[in-house]
Amino acid sequence: MLVQNILNGISLGSVYALIAVGFALIFNVLKFSNFSQGGVMTVTAYAGYVASRYLSDRLDSLVLFAAVLAAAAVSGAVIAAAVERLAFRRLRRTKSEPVYYFISSITMGILLENLITIYASSNFYSYPRFFATSAVPLFGVNVAVTDMMMFALSIAALLALLFILHRTKIGLGIRAACFDVNTVQLMGMNPDFLVTTALMISGALGGVSGVFLGMNYTLYPQLGQMVVKGFVASVLGGLGSIHGAVIGAVLLGILEIFFISWVGAGWAPVFVFIVMLAFLLVRPRGIAGIIVQEKA
Amino acid sequence: MDYFVSTVIFTGIALIGVLGVYLITGLTGLFSLGQAAFMAIGGYVSAVLIRNYNVPVVPAVALAIVAAMLAALLVGLPTVRLRRDYISLVTLGFGEAIVALLNNSANITGGAMGISGIPQLTTLPVVLVSVVVCLALVILYKNSKYGRQCLALRSDELAAKSMGIDVYRLKLITFLFAGALTGYSGVLFGFYTTYLEPAAFNWIISAEWTIIVFVGGVNSLTGTVLATILLTWLPEFLRFASEWRVAIYCVIVLLIVNYRTAGIMGERELSPKTLRRLLGRTKEAPR
Amino acid sequence: MSLLEVRNLTKSFGGVRAVDDFSFGAEQGEIVGIIGPNGAGKTTAFNLITGVYPLDRGSILLEGKELAGKEQFEITRSGIGRTFQNIRLFKGLSVLENVMTAADPYSPYGLFSLFTLGAAFRRREREVRAAAMEYLALVGLEKYADEKPSNLPYGLQRKLEIARALATGPKVLLLDEPAAGLNPSEVREFIGLVGELRERFGFAVLVIEHRMEVIMTLCSRIYVLNFGKLLASGTPAEIRANHEVTEAYIGKEDASCSV
Ligand SMILES: Nc1ncnc2c1ncn2[C@@H]1O[C@H](COP(=O)(O)OP(=O)(O)OP(=O)(O)O)[C@@H](O)[C@H]1O
Ligand SMILES: [Mg+2]
Repeated sequence: MLVQNILNGISLGSVYALIAVGFALIFNVLKFSNFSQGGVMTVTAYAGYVASRYLSDRLDSLVLFAAVLAAAAVSGAVIAAAVERLAFRRLRRTKSEPVYYFISSITMGILLENLITIYASSNFYSYPRFFATSAVPLFGVNVAVTDMMMFALSIAALLALLFILHRTKIGLGIRAACFDVNTVQLMGMNPDFLVTTALMISGALGGVSGVFLGMNYTLYPQLGQMVVKGFVASVLGGLGSIHGAVIGAVLLGILEIFFISWVGAGWAPVFVFIVMLAFLLVRPRGIAGIIVQEKA
Repeated sequence: MDYFVSTVIFTGIALIGVLGVYLITGLTGLFSLGQAAFMAIGGYVSAVLIRNYNVPVVPAVALAIVAAMLAALLVGLPTVRLRRDYISLVTLGFGEAIVALLNNSANITGGAMGISGIPQLTTLPVVLVSVVVCLALVILYKNSKYGRQCLALRSDELAAKSMGIDVYRLKLITFLFAGALTGYSGVLFGFYTTYLEPAAFNWIISAEWTIIVFVGGVNSLTGTVLATILLTWLPEFLRFASEWRVAIYCVIVLLIVNYRTAGIMGERELSPKTLRRLLGRTKEAPR
Repeated sequence: MSLLEVRNLTKSFGGVRAVDDFSFGAEQGEIVGIIGPNGAGKTTAFNLITGVYPLDRGSILLEGKELAGKEQFEITRSGIGRTFQNIRLFKGLSVLENVMTAADPYSPYGLFSLFTLGAAFRRREREVRAAAMEYLALVGLEKYADEKPSNLPYGLQRKLEIARALATGPKVLLLDEPAAGLNPSEVREFIGLVGELRERFGFAVLVIEHRMEVIMTLCSRIYVLNFGKLLASGTPAEIRANHEVTEAYIGKEDASCSV
């Protein structure tokens, strides 16, 4: 039971981590929590679904699954780039404060969710089953194949992200942008390009998580409101810290699964809230421990 | 006519809730992503007291407001000292926790099915008087030492502390006041719709109220009032657009935030002084 | 007993000893200068006195009472007023409101009086407004009362910082590079202003400045910091004659005009 819960928690947490690192990434570059990610996740979950419907006769399980994920990731990146043009570009031109990005991004999230509501007219859909076997034994417990896939692919996506951040020029730019995006001009990089790329990366990660969430629950337009899990994890992790966000997300996932099994799904949010509050009181600097002391 | 009255009533109720967000966000620069939970508390407490315990209306309403303030104290006490970002996180978690609580105490709250059969006590005069009183209180607050100090701490918290402002206490007082207002709007809401369900109070509602404050013009109360009226009526005007309503609404908000970032009113207020200045300018012509 | 007595003030940031065992004091009515090259720890010393950062070590006595460990707002209320090197006015408030806000923490009225439009509230609002106007007049800003601070030129913003600090009712006034960015005539005017304010309020003034003219004219005692440590202290004449100081600091005066 314990092992089962931990494994489920890690697998759920790894999906949250995909959302959370998107938050951390954008916070690093633009200093706000990008709630439009929720809308992006909704759209990509449906995009993945449409792809699966369209391709299911032509491809079989694993290939189909990969194609669906790819479709979701690409559509996530494209939509995030569009969001940048429509909701953030002008604010950057006018050098607006981060709160306006925040407002713009929430509105964008609601807009995307609503467009999907119109498209899907509040119907519930569900993904086809991608895998023939549903569970395999591991550490003496049965682990769902979907859970394992979610975990493995989330890790793969996070590793890819780390590779981009630490081994490529654009990654260096994104890390350098944490002080001020426009300083990357000194490195001969175009800030617009950098911001767009960061958003596209986060959109692609959001796309993958959208499919996973869609597989885990049913597909409904409000699915993207799960974005708050990523927000919670990224704040707990220490805003802007990638590894803090991952740790925060995994802890949140484990915590939720544990509380669900102890007190039921209904009460879990209450206990999660109490633990979160206690954590912030004990360790107000967040997991990553970045403490920003303001200079006077 | 009925339809018009009901729109006015809903606008009034929303306005009182948004005033709470105005205090927290517009005046103090904090974000509450759980403000709708205070509305839920106000609505549910008054409804349960009246329906299940036969408490008379006035004490029930008073207790509902007190309950909302206690909740605000519970959230505020530990959080006002934390970093600003954490306040939105904690309020968000609190909001979700309250919704979960309401869903899971079915024997008292009716659970996810909601609570119905609440007496319909909210009438047009009640709402209008409530709006006038609440607005007056907020205007007074803004134009007193409280409002000035809130704006100061919003501009620069460190400098505010250095000017002798007890920012923690100030945040807490503002939080309590906002909780009371939002709680009261919940009371009016329950007494109008006669039905409450937990799903109506999730974080999206709180986010929408925050958007309204920004559309109005962050620290302009006049702007907040205008934006509330505009944005609650807009979907009604857009009825012809049926399902595209919310989408059009979002596009308009996006346009305002991106192209008129300071909001409808910016920092300006409609006050006797500005009115005089406006009139004076037209009369005296170029000065 | 001195009005302000600071002993063994010490603070490190990571590995950097920003302030290292710095002791000094100020008497009532005295103007004390703190000078030193960029990064010497002057501003940090002010931040420690006003409670922005906790001290690593040391003690700060105002009229014999310990301030170390208190909250920033308590320290201000017990009589330490300050201005900021990198001007930190309240952008959302008018010039007058900026000053009123600094007097507001002393307003005794509560929410009840406010919401019932009680006499206590109305009287106190009038008083605060009048007092703030007076402080503005002292620094010559009364005609800008309704402006937003960001619309004022730099020199006037510095004056507004001073008016705001006055409204906190200081016994010791801390000025952090108040003459930075002023032109020569403004600097002379500023020197006159500080002298007048000292006469009128009788407080002690601690002033950090790179403009030697200000320091040498106003101060009766000067402390020189270098790498967080006290390098020398004495009267303007003594400091001018001090070879070490000249080397560490005055020799680089031209380059030190930090804005
Ligand atoms: N909040 C902080 N975090 C980390 N280091 C700091 C902080 N504040 C100051 N320092 C460091 O402490 C040292 C002293 O800085 P301080 O600002 O006190 O110098 P200063 O004497 O006021 O210089 P200036 O003349 O340029 O104003 C510097 O090395 C600075 O980088
Ligand atoms: Mg300095």
